[in-house]
Amino acid sequence: MEKNAIDILLPDLGEVEGVRVVQWLRAAGETVAEDEDLLEVETEKTTFVVPAPAGGCLIEIVAAEGATVERGGVLGRIEPSG
Amino acid sequence: MAGSSRADRRALHLSLGRADYGWTLDLQRTLHGRRKAGATPDVVITVEHNPVITFGRSGSSEHLLASPSELRREGIEVFDVERGGDVTYHGPGQLVVYPIVDLREHGRDVKGFVRGLEEATIETLTDLGIDAERRDGYPGVWVSNRKIAAIGVYVSGWVTRHGMALNVAVNPAHFAMIRPCGLPVETVSISDLLGRTVLLDRVRDVLLERLAERFDWELEPTSLAEILGGARG
Repeated sequence: MEKNAIDILLPDLGEVEGVRVVQWLRAAGETVAEDEDLLEVETEKTTFVVPAPAGGCLIEIVAAEGATVERGGVLGRIEPSG
Repeated sequence: MAGSSRADRRALHLSLGRADYGWTLDLQRTLHGRRKAGATPDVVITVEHNPVITFGRSGSSEHLLASPSELRREGIEVFDVERGGDVTYHGPGQLVVYPIVDLREHGRDVKGFVRGLEEATIETLTDLGIDAERRDGYPGVWVSNRKIAAIGVYVSGWVTRHGMALNVAVNPAHFAMIRPCGLPVETVSISDLLGRTVLLDRVRDVLLERLAERFDWELEPTSLAEILGGARG
């Protein structure tokens, strides 16, 4: 595991339960820019697009499509560029 | 006036009257981009759509009960869209509200935003003499077990689009073509409950006041030319 990888965490969306991963907009191995739309999660009739916390390579998708994630849960990992 | 003593934020109200869904969706996406870029304050779009059925990100085609030929005969278009939720119907007699709102200025609270829409709607219905409520785990607004307002939101860059649809006087035959939210629930309109016609514009004006209180807005009417004018220059 790359020692400087950054976790992509599910942001605090308010008191919601059962946040489901709808789809990843980028694939593992792709280069992403900071704040770029990375994946969609859904809860309470709301689709929320999680942005990339840093620019770099999306090295791992931890929460696959259909997975349920808790607040602060790890969705994936980015190895920052530069 | 709950919010008037505080420094209310300037926000815009764009009333589209009657408009096609696809055209309005493009407009929402344009304004969403402008809101993200800080080129406009929060905007509340109100519109009455021509008949359309839309599927959200949890949409299942099993919840569409009408056949393609029935839809064509009724002139109903079908769209797959990015909002949360399952299938829904929009059409004449329904007040649709699309708030393009930067949640970073509203506590970054997605649940709070949805609740604000629901509560403003409940207060609007109270004004009309209708008792309505929220139900935990079932977003939207309910009168007993019947759904009077549906919610489906999309948030990217903490800016919202899509929103809410309140049934003022909707053709029940059109609702029978879908299973809203995939649940075997009945829908109801304000006019069914009151046994008389209520003007959509009147409901809209009350709802806008309630939304302004909830979200601390000083709402200012705008026009398409005005709001898109800045984009051309």
